[in-house]
Amino acid sequence: MSKRQSILPRVQSGPKAPVNFSSSIIISDSALLTGNHTINISSESVVHPRAKLDSSNGRITIGRRCIVHERTSIGAVSADPKPSESRDGVVISDYATVEVGAVIESGGTMIGEGCVVGIGCKIGKGAKLGKHCTLTPQSVIQPWEVVPDFTVVYSNGTRRLDKRGVADLKHKAQARQIEVLRKLIPSNPAKFQG
Amino acid sequence: MASFTPYTYIQCPCQESTSQGRPADDAPSPTSQDQPDDDDDHTFDPRAPRSNYSLYPLEYLLYCDVCHQIRCPRCVAEELVTVYCPNCLFEVGSSSLKTEGNRCTRSCFQCPICIGPLAVQSLESAPDPSLLTAESASAAPPAGPWILACSYCNWNSSEIGVKFDKPQGIFSQLSKLRHGEDHHSKHSTSSGDISPTKKSDATAPETAKARFAAMKAFYNAQNNNASPAGGAGLAGLGGDYGFSSPGALSRIMNLYSGGATGGGGMGSGLKAKPKSSVMREADAANEGFRASDLDEGAAVSKLRKEGWDGTVTREQAGAQTEEGARFADELWPIPYLLRAKRSKRCPVCRHIISKPESKVGNTRWRIRLVANNSIPSITVKPLNHSSTLLRPLQPVQYLLTFKNPVFEEIKVTLATPATTPGRFASKVTVLCPQFTIDANTDTDMYLDDVLKDGAKDGRRRGDEGTHQAEAGKIWERGRNWVSIVVEVVPASLRIEEPPALLKKEGDPEPDLSPLKEDEDVLEIPMFVRLEWEGDASQDQVGTTAGKEKDTREKRELAYWCAIGIGRISQE
Repeated sequence: MSKRQSILPRVQSGPKAPVNFSSSIIISDSALLTGNHTINISSESVVHPRAKLDSSNGRITIGRRCIVHERTSIGAVSADPKPSESRDGVVISDYATVEVGAVIESGGTMIGEGCVVGIGCKIGKGAKLGKHCTLTPQSVIQPWEVVPDFTVVYSNGTRRLDKRGVADLKHKAQARQIEVLRKLIPSNPAKFQG
Repeated sequence: MASFTPYTYIQCPCQESTSQGRPADDAPSPTSQDQPDDDDDHTFDPRAPRSNYSLYPLEYLLYCDVCHQIRCPRCVAEELVTVYCPNCLFEVGSSSLKTEGNRCTRSCFQCPICIGPLAVQSLESAPDPSLLTAESASAAPPAGPWILACSYCNWNSSEIGVKFDKPQGIFSQLSKLRHGEDHHSKHSTSSGDISPTKKSDATAPETAKARFAAMKAFYNAQNNNASPAGGAGLAGLGGDYGFSSPGALSRIMNLYSGGATGGGGMGSGLKAKPKSSVMREADAANEGFRASDLDEGAAVSKLRKEGWDGTVTREQAGAQTEEGARFADELWPIPYLLRAKRSKRCPVCRHIISKPESKVGNTRWRIRLVANNSIPSITVKPLNHSSTLLRPLQPVQYLLTFKNPVFEEIKVTLATPATTPGRFASKVTVLCPQFTIDANTDTDMYLDDVLKDGAKDGRRRGDEGTHQAEAGKIWERGRNWVSIVVEVVPASLRIEEPPALLKKEGDPEPDLSPLKEDEDVLEIPMFVRLEWEGDASQDQVGTTAGKEKDTREKRELAYWCAIGIGRISQE
């Protein structure tokens, strides 16, 4: 039985991005990495298939033990015309999770440590998420917005503080999940490094 | 605003018949149930404020096949079939419903912040690094303390200082924590002053319910004490007339009996009697009395400290089982409100017209007589023009397609007022107000019919150019459907004074207010009368089913509907 090929034209990818990978990362070979600036991925982070990392508007840095899910768009072009002073496009700190279909615009955008960016969220250019924030699915963070530590954005933008104090537990769960993903996702960092 | 979907709403006949009782003569079938004559005079106005409550899309309506009448959600009689928790789908018996109330008493809770479902989670101490692998972590039994946590907004019960010893029986644990019946319960030590129902007095009832019970008991005792003679017998009467105060009651008793028993020469029995003791009001905590806390200083400083985010929203406070929560940390998990499956009966003949499967997990219906299967559906389609905004004073034609779902031929008679009601009267002409629709055939002939229809379709398309809408003729006919043409001349939406020449004495002042919401929608009230021959109903007592099997009888059904055609452009 032959493998059925997609009849859609291949995604037009831009220039091959310069990358700087840690040796222990897990990156699927169907992830899309484009742009002119460097894409840094630190140790034990996971990039799922079809995640799109676009560094054409600035450097992309992904911290340790982050999980970037499928069909995310990191470093997307912003509609906001205001230029960013930062040389960084997107910085995702350690232990953050970007869930399926989330869009993080480029231009000094900062995702704090242990944040969970929910399914289909949109984070505007230059927004700064504090530590351990949780964005529930389909939340929108406006450009240049600053979200304090431990904020939960839920129910069409309502906000509250997460007082669980389970950051350590979350870190352990994240590590455990990465262990499982290591078995599930065939990693091919060489494809991007070559 | 630009897009408009044509619609058809049907008015349930329960609107007209004010007396909704069982017919006195108990006729075999109310086919010839004629409407009161005065009803025929006035046409139905879909814009009247009351009409909103009687117009339903066809899908919402049920149909009683004994009375042969449409039944809407408003006029059916409902009965509980099952009461269950929507979260755990556990069926709750009616007896426990009475004793334990309408909330789930298992471990089903809603988040007080976002009403998401709460899950029981262990607040385990950090495991050793050696236990980090997945296998060993799942093997180790998670230990308490346990909390209720919302996976959506990340609220958890430790925020209000509630932790549980064991993961089962959360409802009873929580009520113990809340109402302090159990001193061994592990009330959080970290946030002592947070709990609003902290025990202050060992004997004082804490919940509103318990306070009410205590207060009721206290006043009952007062009642009995204050009027030992006649009070006991008249207590019920006194309550009915609002003389619940025993003092008032005994004064009244004195008015009547005082003269006879006292018999004093003072002239008035009232004065002779010693004044009955004034009833004491509840003043102790164990009598259900609670002094209002007038010192709001703590609340004010808390408000200052926690700000807007620390307060509850109106919705959050309303969802609580006990009232009085003002700050976010006074919100308790909400036990799930139980739901019920209901069966529906026809209000006239008491036949069941909708009955769900009694099993909670099963979403099917045992009986469901939807109107969709009994009365024709009406669809609206523009004819020969695109369906954008209607131009004022330019006639347009619309196709109304009636599709017959029953297995009998139906004779349809339509009636519309010549102009639509309301301030902007558009002219309406139904080109063919009387026609018959062929019966819906069985499905085994379906393919045949489709093929025939297809052939006809092709032929029609050929001579579309010459096809003209003619008065008295139907536009098109299919297996079990008929389309007819309705011509409308939309009114102009200009609001102007009517010409002085046409003004008559005593005319009501014309309404010159600006265009109201949806007043630009052209909506046609249409009276539909159906006539068909059906089997004589076998359901009546005294009819032998075998003998009169092939009796046919004439049936009719008539109802108003409102057909939304489109919006009139305003320029």
